[in-house]
Amino acid sequence: MAAITDRQRLAYANAQAADGRVNLEFETDEGMTLNMGPQHPATHGTLRIVVKLDGEQVLSCEPVMGYMHRGYEKLTEVRTYPQVTTLINRIDWLGSFANEVPFILAAERLMEIEAPPRAQWIRTALFELSRIANISLFVGDMALHIGAMTAAFYAFRDREFVLNQIEAATGGRFHPNFDRIGGLKDDLPKGWIADTKAAMERIRDFCDEMEILVEGNEIFEARTRGIGVIPAEVAMQFGLTGANLRASGVDWDLRRDEPVGLAWNEVDWNVITHPDGDSFARFWVRLQEIRESTRIVDQLLDGLPAGPYMAKVPRIIKVPEGEAWVATENPLGEMGYYVVSQGGLGPFRVKIRTASFNNVSVVPWVCRGVYVPDVITILASLYFILGDIDR
Amino acid sequence: MGLVESGKLPKPLTSLLNTSRKYSIWIFQWGLACCAIEMGAALGSPRYDVMRLGVIPLPASPRQADLVCFSGTVTDKMVPSIRRLYDQMPDPKYVISMGSCANCGGPYWDSYSVTKGVDQIVPVDVYVPGCPPRPEALLEGIVLLQERIGKEDMAERWRGEPIVVS
Amino acid sequence: MSSPEAPATEEAEAPVTDEVREEVLAELREDLGDAIVGTHIVPGQDLWVRVTKDAWQQAGFALRDGAGFKMFEFVSAIDWLPSPWGKSEDSPTDEVVETEPAEIVTGYAGGDTRFQVFARAHSQTRKMGVTLKVDVPEDDFSLPTWIPVFAGANWHERETREMFGIDFVGHPHLVNIYLPGEFEGHPLRKDFPLLARHVKPWPGIVDIEPMPGDESEEGEEG
Ligand code: SF4
Repeated sequence: MAAITDRQRLAYANAQAADGRVNLEFETDEGMTLNMGPQHPATHGTLRIVVKLDGEQVLSCEPVMGYMHRGYEKLTEVRTYPQVTTLINRIDWLGSFANEVPFILAAERLMEIEAPPRAQWIRTALFELSRIANISLFVGDMALHIGAMTAAFYAFRDREFVLNQIEAATGGRFHPNFDRIGGLKDDLPKGWIADTKAAMERIRDFCDEMEILVEGNEIFEARTRGIGVIPAEVAMQFGLTGANLRASGVDWDLRRDEPVGLAWNEVDWNVITHPDGDSFARFWVRLQEIRESTRIVDQLLDGLPAGPYMAKVPRIIKVPEGEAWVATENPLGEMGYYVVSQGGLGPFRVKIRTASFNNVSVVPWVCRGVYVPDVITILASLYFILGDIDR
Repeated sequence: MGLVESGKLPKPLTSLLNTSRKYSIWIFQWGLACCAIEMGAALGSPRYDVMRLGVIPLPASPRQADLVCFSGTVTDKMVPSIRRLYDQMPDPKYVISMGSCANCGGPYWDSYSVTKGVDQIVPVDVYVPGCPPRPEALLEGIVLLQERIGKEDMAERWRGEPIVVS
Repeated sequence: MSSPEAPATEEAEAPVTDEVREEVLAELREDLGDAIVGTHIVPGQDLWVRVTKDAWQQAGFALRDGAGFKMFEFVSAIDWLPSPWGKSEDSPTDEVVETEPAEIVTGYAGGDTRFQVFARAHSQTRKMGVTLKVDVPEDDFSLPTWIPVFAGANWHERETREMFGIDFVGHPHLVNIYLPGEFEGHPLRKDFPLLARHVKPWPGIVDIEPMPGDESEEGEEG
């Protein structure tokens, strides 16, 4: 056996270090800095996270955003109201329909018109469908981040059934742009209700499947239980909303508590909460929410009122002066629009309060002291869409 | 390889090489925005199943990829990473630009932070229009690219001349 | 209850009063006293309170601890200057003319300055929210940070700084959040030009898609 010279050893060490440096930005006395992203398999999209490590433990964690900043708030100022809905569709791109609704409601509030009941019910049903389309992908995604690839395939497969229904009604798989000030663009197509109910049946099966596949899994439990605990008090301070807040035990759902002009209170469903506040709780709450959503859709379609789907609105939409804030419970959490109008064809200023921006702002707090693999779990369980953070 | 140095390649050899290249494309997915989900559906979902076209998704790194699919909005902040990634890919490399945003800026044509088209940074072979394009549209884009690869003259590439595809 | 800035006509036109929101307002007045310089209530919908700049942080605490608005929504700002580049009504053939800035019209609860910062908090027990506003004079373009009040204000203030240039005193890490470092200007200011628009005017002004359910006008369209 040939002896290894010092020189060889040094060369080897150098090569190793060069390999290692690919992802290391610099080393300081306080620890090592690891850069994840902006294109990283563990971030949905282009989030970059700079983590300072001591060994395997995170000293501090700083998300770097802006890789998807598209300037919505500025662009809304130079668009007319009907054009704005086309844009804001694309904020949370998985549950697009849900993005339009609060903006339309805010404009309707300023114009003091109200959509007819049929439009409200259809809106609510489509809202819930987009929630299902959104969160079913989360379920697969979360499992994928923990290492269970199969769940993602199932999610993609069953999500298609919901997308088909959205497409049948609105004409768009992703960005329906179906909501209009005063109602909807169109009525539901023939046979849609029966098809949707069949799709809801499939989604319920999907939930059962996921529970069998993921929830009992020991690895999954070990990697999510007790990881990334966010107490309710902290959650409120950071303005967390949606399932992240409910998983911390706060019984708060805008759908039940402030259903501004939508039909959630007409049907029977439950707000799901979980007392733990950890990654598992967030996963569990979301999975149960899909079930509740299918129930809501089923009941809404059973009781759909007849009548017009569009109120009388002027052809050229001018919104009177005023300010209005409307928020709804979107798939990712509370999404609100603060619309300032000065009487023109377009809004004067729109402040878009998205759920993910607040949800992710808790990351530096919650990631302190956890281990590197847990960063991935926590990020996955907080569930954000990049467009929703950066806008 | 005297053949290569002479700059000529017999037809059968060309078509053999091209056929084998065209049905073994590793596609690197660079998902940027909404379109990324449709790309994910095309590449990862059982309904569309890109592998039947001889395209293999999810390479471990861009250094192993033949084709990169930019899907979504390219922002000015993202541009350096895109260029760097493109430079890391080994030749011959192909680019698909998916969605209006990557093609030309799309709905954000007047935004202050969006690059109006990924073709300002890297050369693009196939543009897939739509906002978002359906997964089928992306698959068609891939088929078009394969046709294009099939018509390439490998010798030209080796001589370092610009490739002209008829 | 209206202040001199928000004229009393609002009340006269809308005799409906909103007791819940009046109550909140009374509580805030108790805590803040003269610091409240303008208020506005749209009955059944919302409450706006404008405070003085010095009382900005104090108003946050009063809102959180006194009135029980524990859930943080957002902090942002607004530039009331009418856009010198015209509105979106410009037709594609019109030349974009640089006009003299028109008069500044501020919104609910009044305002004296071009820039206003506004923030919102929500109460889950009262099931309502409050929008706080504060004037930011341009000669002293800063505000005390809200991080002690709501930890979540951190990123929102960074965003506001970036978009409007307002400085938040006491913020630990006030760096750009969205835009690359070399970016110049503050995009959400009204006088920030969207250059792509100046090269090519907005093609989408022709926006008369016939409304469904609007049969009466369909004949005219032909
Ligand atoms: S082209 Fe449309 S769907 Fe695709 S990224 Fe752009 S906005 Fe999103």
